[in-house]
Amino acid sequence: MSLAGVLSALLQIALVTVGSPLLVGVMRQIRARLEGRAGAGVLQPWRDLRKLARKQPVTPRGTSEVFRVAPLLMLATTVAVVAVAPFVTTASVPAAGADLFVVVALLTLGAAALALAGLDTGTAFGGMGASREITILALVEPTLLVAIFALSVPVGSTNLADIVTSTLHDPGRTITPASLLAAVALGLAVVAETGRLPVDNPSTHLELTMIHEAMVLEYAGPDLAMVELASAMRLSVFLGLWATLFAPWGIAADAGVGALALGTGVLVVKVTALGAALAAGEVFLAKLRLFRVPELLAGSFVLALLAVVASFFFA
Amino acid sequence: MNLVAAGLVGAVVVAVAAATAALLVPRPARSAVVGVGTVLCGASGMAAGIVALTGPGWSAAVAGLLPLTGVVLSVDALSGVFLSVIGAVGIAVGIYGIGYARHGLDGRGVQAMEPLFVAAMLLVPAAGGVGTFLVCWELMALTSLLLVLAEHTRRVEVASAARWYAVMTHLGFVAILIGLVVLAGHADNDSFPALRVAAAGLSPATAGLVFTLTLVGFASKAGILPLHAWLPRAHPEAPSHVSALMSAAMVTLGVYGIVRVGFDLLGGGSRWWWLLVLALGAVSAVYGILQAAIGTDLKRLLAYSTTENMGLVLIGVGAGGLFAAAGNMLLAGLALTAALLHVVNHAAFKTLLFLAAGSVLHATGSRDLDDLGGLRPRMPVTTAAFGLGALAGSALPLGPAFVSEWLLLQALVHGLAAGGMATAIMMPIAVATVALTAGLAVATFVKAFGVGFLARPRSEHAAAARESPPSMLAGMGVAAAVCVVLAVAPVLVLPVIGAASGRVFGVADPVLSGLLAVRLQGFTGSLSPLLVAAAVVFATVVFAVAARLIAARHRARVAARLWDCGAGPLSARMEYTATSFAEPLQRVFDNVLRPEHDVDITHYRESRYLVDAVSYRLRVPDRVEHRLYRPVLSAVRAWGRAGPRLANGSVHLYLGYGFAVVCGALLLLVVTR
Amino acid sequence: MSEAVFVELLSLSSGIVLLTAVLVLWRRELAMVIRVFAVQGVALAGLVAVLAVRESSAELGIVAAGVLILRAGLLPYLLGRALTAAGPQRRETRPLVNVAASLLAAAGLTLLALAVSAPLVALAPSPATAAIPVGMAVVLIGFFVLVTRRRALSQLIGFLLMDNGITTVGFLTTAGIGLVVELGVSLDILLAVLVLGVLTGWMQTAFGNTDLDELRELHD
Repeated sequence: MSLAGVLSALLQIALVTVGSPLLVGVMRQIRARLEGRAGAGVLQPWRDLRKLARKQPVTPRGTSEVFRVAPLLMLATTVAVVAVAPFVTTASVPAAGADLFVVVALLTLGAAALALAGLDTGTAFGGMGASREITILALVEPTLLVAIFALSVPVGSTNLADIVTSTLHDPGRTITPASLLAAVALGLAVVAETGRLPVDNPSTHLELTMIHEAMVLEYAGPDLAMVELASAMRLSVFLGLWATLFAPWGIAADAGVGALALGTGVLVVKVTALGAALAAGEVFLAKLRLFRVPELLAGSFVLALLAVVASFFFA
Repeated sequence: MNLVAAGLVGAVVVAVAAATAALLVPRPARSAVVGVGTVLCGASGMAAGIVALTGPGWSAAVAGLLPLTGVVLSVDALSGVFLSVIGAVGIAVGIYGIGYARHGLDGRGVQAMEPLFVAAMLLVPAAGGVGTFLVCWELMALTSLLLVLAEHTRRVEVASAARWYAVMTHLGFVAILIGLVVLAGHADNDSFPALRVAAAGLSPATAGLVFTLTLVGFASKAGILPLHAWLPRAHPEAPSHVSALMSAAMVTLGVYGIVRVGFDLLGGGSRWWWLLVLALGAVSAVYGILQAAIGTDLKRLLAYSTTENMGLVLIGVGAGGLFAAAGNMLLAGLALTAALLHVVNHAAFKTLLFLAAGSVLHATGSRDLDDLGGLRPRMPVTTAAFGLGALAGSALPLGPAFVSEWLLLQALVHGLAAGGMATAIMMPIAVATVALTAGLAVATFVKAFGVGFLARPRSEHAAAARESPPSMLAGMGVAAAVCVVLAVAPVLVLPVIGAASGRVFGVADPVLSGLLAVRLQGFTGSLSPLLVAAAVVFATVVFAVAARLIAARHRARVAARLWDCGAGPLSARMEYTATSFAEPLQRVFDNVLRPEHDVDITHYRESRYLVDAVSYRLRVPDRVEHRLYRPVLSAVRAWGRAGPRLANGSVHLYLGYGFAVVCGALLLLVVTR
Repeated sequence: MSEAVFVELLSLSSGIVLLTAVLVLWRRELAMVIRVFAVQGVALAGLVAVLAVRESSAELGIVAAGVLILRAGLLPYLLGRALTAAGPQRRETRPLVNVAASLLAAAGLTLLALAVSAPLVALAPSPATAAIPVGMAVVLIGFFVLVTRRRALSQLIGFLLMDNGITTVGFLTTAGIGLVVELGVSLDILLAVLVLGVLTGWMQTAFGNTDLDELRELHD
């Protein structure tokens, strides 16, 4: 790991940290416009975060350290993923770092920590949110890992940087059936993991329907700011991973200033486009009943499995 | 005298001495003496294992010690892995037992059995001949059975659990016995080198028969489906430190048996063997963790998790066999390394979890998660220990099991093209199985830790809980330390395990492990547990400091009431329980689990429209058990009912049976000759 | 057509054929299922057309056009009419095997199809025969739909899926089973659909719905 590598990892972290709330802002704005509302503006999530961070920290009675550490852990795991993922440049990645299994497991660790915090409050809301979140998390795992398997077959490695480099050398690979199936499967998994429609509705606060929001109901002030920031960063990380895997063009191979600037610009465009598409799609979708979600996930699992099959048998 | 021999002899001598002392020493000092004895026994066993792992093996034959065959001992690197695991578990359990046994478990018999059990387990992987192996295996079964029975005067379930255990372990023993005896029948003598020679000349059918029979026996010991029925019964009913010994150490000897017989003695065999092993492992992994995910009995949940982990290990072993049958020895070595590393990791975190569960049971008298909760302020050390174990058990990064599951996934991913259609179809299924298992394991341990230890107490026992005595905490501390070390520095054990499993297939260490990174030999793939842990911890600290700095500019942290919708304080009955936490999963897997619901609604006498009370009971029976064991048991019972008709009390009739059989046997002999 | 483009188009069209079969299991709305079936017809016609261009055979080209008209046009139209005749229940509400399990079964059936057609592919390895497992998988999935779906119309679609699968295998193995054979098979299919469509209408009038389990009553 060179100095340039460390610097570009820091660049990625800064970019995602600053950009994620903006991404959420853009998505909300698009949704508002499509629904005929004026919207609060792209900067609103940042204003919310600033407001929350200035409030007095509050701990609900009867909660333990788990409740206080969970948002930190969620942020930390997300940042660890951002540091090693080749979002802007493959030069930032320490050779042993960016294994896709590790990336997925780290993101799962953050989500599990937050679910524990939900249980720690001992309220019905917290328990319900945690239970639902964990159920979906458990069912998404097969899709994620099998899709990773499919992507690794032509490359012979599950390392993100290897996959990106090899796809850049052979751009035709992104339109093979295996890659397309894996893209759809991972797309569904990303929707489920980030709690977007039709799996979870990020803008609802109705106890019967919400998952993520129920889990974090007891958070307030700076803690809530951290949870919100972490969720936004998770969203960008998942979208960024999807874009990196299926449209790796523009990712810098070295840590030169020009290449980095290009990589940054391309990443912002890609993630914003994906976010915009997601937000626009959500306008037309209703939330699925919780017990219909497994069907969606089983479907995405079948697609991932077919992707492995296609990558092996039709290669 | 070789160091391995010294360690083994030391372990046996110490165990016998401790057992004798247990019979002689008065009650107050008894558990301390036995605890120290068990620790010493475990330590010298572990020392023998480490010497065997790092140095050359050792073997010896003592002719007169056992009739007919004599005692044949031989220790190689593979045995060394299991010797070290058993020894290490023995150390932690021995320390823990000093305090744990004070509460009604310090009877002479029970105390005497504990070191003997450890010594018997140590002898199994050290055995170098069929006779010795079977004697040690039986010794291990008997001592563990007596330990399971320890609390039979307090609870009626104990006797039933022990009965199941006794019957199944002995049926397994019979299967192993027949299998090994058939193999030994083709050899000059019953020592392992002679069996290896004989196996080379065996017909595929006979070799397959030997493998299948021994697989049945070893799988039943390892708690593999469908022979797992004893495990979720015996583990919860045994004293907790015995559960730890059984679950972390004894169960792994089933894996040892499969590896020893399948790869070493029979030399690999054909592809269908390993497809069978892989399929059994996959089914056990998913079914075990599914039962654990919806279970509410803390120790039963851990027992099912053992079935799951042994399933994962068998996926590795089976994949290794498949790759070896296809001629890809390096990949086979990688898969076996993953399996053996998982054995080690599982032993570490399962010991920790069972010891912590025992601590909870000791403090609250309850194993039911629905009754627990709120233990964090009352039992901080136990909570921390269980939390660490839960992190490890859910195979997430920062836990040890993540490293072994990562290696397993790498072996499976790279194995897609390793050989033939069957392998190519099996690999995606295996990956999906491991993934689903990992996901459900997260759900299981979030539930166990979140519901059992966090939030507010759900019963009076839980509210009155106190932290356990120091010796129990020390036992947990040892296991926790091992977990942490394995998680961040697998480099300490991985080279020797890799070398041991490489030697099974005649290749070099399939994993290149350095302090910073674990790399695969011959494939691209690397993982750095230390860096991952460091990055996460560092980022957490940075964010904590940043949050503190931002918050310090404003006001200090205050405590506030939970949001109760303005309806007054929340009671424990409003909390989510383990049952309700697992309800979505249980509904998703409804078709697999077939739960039984009972809803009883009592009405007021005055009006049928007013409800007085609603009672809801949910039971998730083990469906495999229902479908498979019920018919067998009822068939046996029907046979039993036929008995009285044959036995009408006439002595002449009984003698007549014997006469007829003797004549028939002679006749058969004449005809077949 | 270059080799690479041929392979690309072939795998794309066979991929869509398989994907649509999975989608039939996934969706509950019968109207949606019919639309998916029509897409499968288009993909199948595309597959035949690709083969026709590859072999530069006019006969195959005509067959492709025929497949398009029949399977993407006429059959979906007839199914749509049967759907309107079948009354207000336009959803496969409770299949005998639930949707998630059906999807997993589809995955298993696909793997099975791969395993059983491996020897067939090995006889003459080529890009076209490599796609045979897809046809086999569609046949098996169609059979699975027949076994597990309740509505008469779903049964019809299962039957047609099987036929699509058989046609796929036929074209991929022999590069054309001949115009006359294809014509005969198509007529058979058309007749079967018409008869079953009428039957659905009769069931609707006799039982008030089109759940095939109601037919058990005829037995008693």
